[in-house]
Amino acid sequence: MEYIENIPIYLQIKDYLEEKIITESYSLGEQMPSVRQLALELAVNSNTVQKALKVMIEEGVIITLRGKGNFVTENAAIVEELKNQIVSETFDSTYDKLHLLKMNNQEITNSFSNYVKQKEKNFE
Amino acid sequence: MSNVLKIEELNYKKGGKKILEDVNLKLDSGKIIGLLGENGAGKTTLMRIIAGVNSVSEGVITVNGNTKKILIKENVSLSDHLDGFKATNKISEIVHFYNAVYQDFSITKYEDIANFLGLDMTKKLAALSTGTRGKLVIALTLARSAKLYLLDEPLSGIDSISRKKIISSIIRWKDDDSTIIISDHYVTAIASLLDEVVIIKNQKIRDLIPVEQIQSDYHLGIEAYYEKVYLGEIQ
Repeated sequence: MEYIENIPIYLQIKDYLEEKIITESYSLGEQMPSVRQLALELAVNSNTVQKALKVMIEEGVIITLRGKGNFVTENAAIVEELKNQIVSETFDSTYDKLHLLKMNNQEITNSFSNYVKQKEKNFE
Repeated sequence: MSNVLKIEELNYKKGGKKILEDVNLKLDSGKIIGLLGENGAGKTTLMRIIAGVNSVSEGVITVNGNTKKILIKENVSLSDHLDGFKATNKISEIVHFYNAVYQDFSITKYEDIANFLGLDMTKKLAALSTGTRGKLVIALTLARSAKLYLLDEPLSGIDSISRKKIISSIIRWKDDDSTIIISDHYVTAIASLLDEVVIIKNQKIRDLIPVEQIQSDYHLGIEAYYEKVYLGEIQ
């Protein structure tokens, strides 16, 4: 994994793990790899992995079972919520930027819908 | 968290020339710390002083609560560039030497690391490429069970594939409560490993700074921060 140098690595790892959970590479209730395995896989220090996991545990996305390790939550609503949150965060800066261009909500919606159509066309 | 290393009021001169001045440093255990500085900035000297190889006339070094040199040596594993060995020495002979000299050296741990790195016991020192020699140095250094590991430019001159292997072995064999100081003048290769950074400039040490603080307060990567410190753009 390539890291962006000026963003704390634990945040980048958190993003990466969240993506894995949302896309079900790690499915609901599944045991996560050990801290050291993740550290090796991601070529970072164990402390950094631990820090990313700590935040995810606080957010309830990962559950830690004493002596057993870390598991993805069994609660689908938490993962759904996480996904919604990432979607909004992704839209936030775009929306703000388009607003600065004095586009109204209708124009923003239309331009996005056109954008998606264009993407589909390019894909075909 | 306890201090694995404490350096107080250290001054070091060699041949009347100041090498290190007013060095104060405290390190928490369990972390990986990057010691950064230009060639000749005093990184190797500082490591040798911490390890108890070089004596200091002024200042106190405490490692894991010990100030006596003999006890410090038991707690610190300093990477050795193997210059004291003959070109005809086989790896197996060097391993035996380490095993005889260091009580905390584990043959089993050495073999695990050596296997992972693909080191062959029967090879002679002279026959090793720079990359393989670097792997041997790491395997020997990590095979001791010390509180503090000092890795002096472990990636210097080493090809990118060997570099990745060496980095993996550091991640894999570092105990949670042991501390590693890695020196380098080429920062990018080790950046993802570091919890904190210490920069040596003009014989002095800049305060210890967490990597996350560099990223969130200055919005810089380690390399860029280091360069700005050297250019005097960050005081």
